[in-house]
Amino acid sequence: MQVTLQTIIGGISLGAVYALVALGFSLVYRTMGLVNFAHGNVVTVGAYLASTFYLSTKLPFALAMMVAIAVTGVIGLVIERVLRPLENKDFDLMLIGTIGFGIVLDALIIMIWGATGRAVPSPVAGAPIELFGLRIRTYDLVVLAIAALATVLLVLFLSRTKRGAAMQAVAMDHEAATAVGIHVGRSNAIAFMVGAGLAALAGGLVGPLLYVSPTLGGALGIKGFAAAILGGFGSIPGAVVGGLAIGVLDSFAAGHFQGYSELVTFLVFTAIIMIRPTGVFGERTVNRA
Amino acid sequence: MRIKIAVVAGLGVLAWLLPYTLDSYAIHVVNVIIIFALLAVGLGLAMGVAGQVNLAQVAFFGVGAYATAILTTRAGLGFWFAAVLAIVITVVIGLLVGTPALRVQSHYLGIVTLGLALAFTNWVTNSQIAGGAEGISAIPAPELPGIDLSSEYLFYYLELIVFALALAFGLFVVRTGLGRRMRAMRDDSLAAGALGAEVPLLRMTAFLLASVYGGVAGVLYAGLIRFVAPESFGIANMFLLLGMVIIGGRQSLIGCVTGAVALYLVRELLSDHPTYAQIGYGAVVVLVVVFAPTGLAGIPPRLRGLRRSTGEAARLQPFQPYEAGASGSDEVILIVDAVKKQFRGLKALDDVSLSVATGEIRGIVGPNGSGKTTLFNVISGLYKPTAGRVEFGGRDMTNVTPYRLSRAGLSRTFQNLRLFGDLTVRENVLVALDRSRTLDSWQYVLAPWLVRARDRRLRAEADAVLERFGLAEFAGQAPKALPYGIQRRVEIARAVAARPRLLLLDEPAAGLNGEEVRQLGEMVRSIRDSGVTVVLIEHNMGLVMALCERVTVLAGGRVIAEGTPAHVAATPAVIEAYLGDVMEIPTEATR
Repeated sequence: MQVTLQTIIGGISLGAVYALVALGFSLVYRTMGLVNFAHGNVVTVGAYLASTFYLSTKLPFALAMMVAIAVTGVIGLVIERVLRPLENKDFDLMLIGTIGFGIVLDALIIMIWGATGRAVPSPVAGAPIELFGLRIRTYDLVVLAIAALATVLLVLFLSRTKRGAAMQAVAMDHEAATAVGIHVGRSNAIAFMVGAGLAALAGGLVGPLLYVSPTLGGALGIKGFAAAILGGFGSIPGAVVGGLAIGVLDSFAAGHFQGYSELVTFLVFTAIIMIRPTGVFGERTVNRA
Repeated sequence: MRIKIAVVAGLGVLAWLLPYTLDSYAIHVVNVIIIFALLAVGLGLAMGVAGQVNLAQVAFFGVGAYATAILTTRAGLGFWFAAVLAIVITVVIGLLVGTPALRVQSHYLGIVTLGLALAFTNWVTNSQIAGGAEGISAIPAPELPGIDLSSEYLFYYLELIVFALALAFGLFVVRTGLGRRMRAMRDDSLAAGALGAEVPLLRMTAFLLASVYGGVAGVLYAGLIRFVAPESFGIANMFLLLGMVIIGGRQSLIGCVTGAVALYLVRELLSDHPTYAQIGYGAVVVLVVVFAPTGLAGIPPRLRGLRRSTGEAARLQPFQPYEAGASGSDEVILIVDAVKKQFRGLKALDDVSLSVATGEIRGIVGPNGSGKTTLFNVISGLYKPTAGRVEFGGRDMTNVTPYRLSRAGLSRTFQNLRLFGDLTVRENVLVALDRSRTLDSWQYVLAPWLVRARDRRLRAEADAVLERFGLAEFAGQAPKALPYGIQRRVEIARAVAARPRLLLLDEPAAGLNGEEVRQLGEMVRSIRDSGVTVVLIEHNMGLVMALCERVTVLAGGRVIAEGTPAHVAATPAVIEAYLGDVMEIPTEATR
């Protein structure tokens, strides 16, 4: 029981990161019906940017993160702008286009930061908290708090602001949205920008948890995608629940299958897609693909 | 044709003489290029031809190579026996990886196949039997009596022969029935299913083909390099392969091969700067999808298109009526019995019953949103009814898949036109004419001459159909480029080409001008006279009054009247339904 609880706790902080990655995927998908295959690479870029500013320029961790988010936001805007001619026309081609961007980003990462990885020390000092015999790292709590805050802000943005409401409208029917005067391209651009920012947030937060290397985003991206699907692709609460679930699944798989944990995670993920492609919180707006 | 044969023969001679001009490193590069070209052909078949986003091609390659390595070094089998087993194993894995395609498509399929490819690398890096991160070395060279295949020069000829056969087979598949049906499925899987294409089976066939090519490439790789390690089969190579196929032109196998050769050579030239090479080809992939989605292979047709634009425009010829065939009988061909269809809260069909006699022309009318198209979708198997039964030709056909219904003699057109955009008009008709089964595809391997003979016969039949519908001059054109009225006629010709007993037409007159509507009426009557029962949904009341023997009126998902056009037009409930509609949606009256 003690071990099980400890495994769950170990999985939750990574799960929160997966949830952030999944939120980025879902936000872009619900707005424009596209899966951004470069999302994982954007996570890596975010992780490297945040760690570089934190370690080399000695910026405070929070500020380093802000800079990373701003830079990746611009990357998101560029991707969207280049692929805009294909929007709402050919999703398979657009998907391949995002893979092309992923290839480019991957090479840029290696060019700028090299092929070897780096370890990032935890930005919060302090011994792990002992609670009912369970050890909880303080940094895990920080990750959870930031992820929760980001989710709340995103939900507020989507539901309370005019721009967010416009994005919801585009998600439901882009033609009708155009008819009432919403600039669909701008709406998509914002979705991409916010999505990329979330990716950078996830990458920056995961730096002290995992080893930052060029392959970091690949694994995080595909697990974040699995999380998004598990929760119901395009659904915001689904992304959060899915992320935490995949984090815990991951933690159990790592405990039981050691090196094969990735294999197990992907097989489970495939089985889930086959059984229930719409996920737990599948929404009607996800029927677009 | 002669020129083509000469070109192929010339290329063959050049390929045969190539090793004499190359040093030992260059021949190694060429040997690796041929392997990538094989992989690209396999990926092109799955992704470009059949539209199945397959990001596990490099894993199929890995399974083939690793299986050969394990079977020869660990189990001590001979190379050739191991090779055959390896290909069988790859095909089994390929079919397993393809099963999600039965449920999901596009992005979902892409990420699932990518995940399974990652799972494969994860397995080989950790598994004892696969040698872990170090991989497996000292794979024995394949043996042929009298030929030393450990020489890369001689191995080249083995690869060349395998590759030539594989490419020829791939091209043969693409240009005949199986490939045509896969391309139709890629363009519009709903319409392909409604014309008798066994969509699930075709998707699996796509993965079968991709895995055979992957397995063969893997075996050759194991025989050539005689060493396998996880990084050769990782995501980086998958994306390189994808780049080859996209840049070359995914819909053309020759394009895929060109892309593989070009990209590998460029990468080889930049081998001192691999990251620059990667940035370069990634950027080219992005540019290609945005500006030239058909890739390198799309350039020659585009140039030809520019030159030909001055030629004489094709003209629509008049429809040539059928000889009157079987006359009507009292037999009932279609029975819809108390069908209900519910979408969440919305009752689209509520207790709809009707029966259509053989040889009848039945009209189905009703205000917008009254459930007419839903009814067609239930009859043709696209929707499962929530309750009730559909009987066709005396057999219960509720919940039968569209392709089975099509093969049982049901054919339909679609309200919003669902022509296969990247197929020519002739090929659109050919998809419908071709009633051969996908399960008979063994003929491609064992009796290709049967396939060829059948295809030649079908082409003659297709030309006859096009001639009858006055479309002969458009045979080689892409339907997307044609005027709307002609596209409508192509869709009807395609539906009739399936030789149905029952033809469902969904708003065939929508968007047609007066003269075209008159021609349509003539066409439908003649099709009926040839022995086909017709049910049509139509808003053009003039056409319905003139054409239909009986009319069924739907409103709010219920049948509110049925009878002769004159009788129905005088029914108070019908007038009320239509007038109510007129007041809410004034455009309805003008249709």
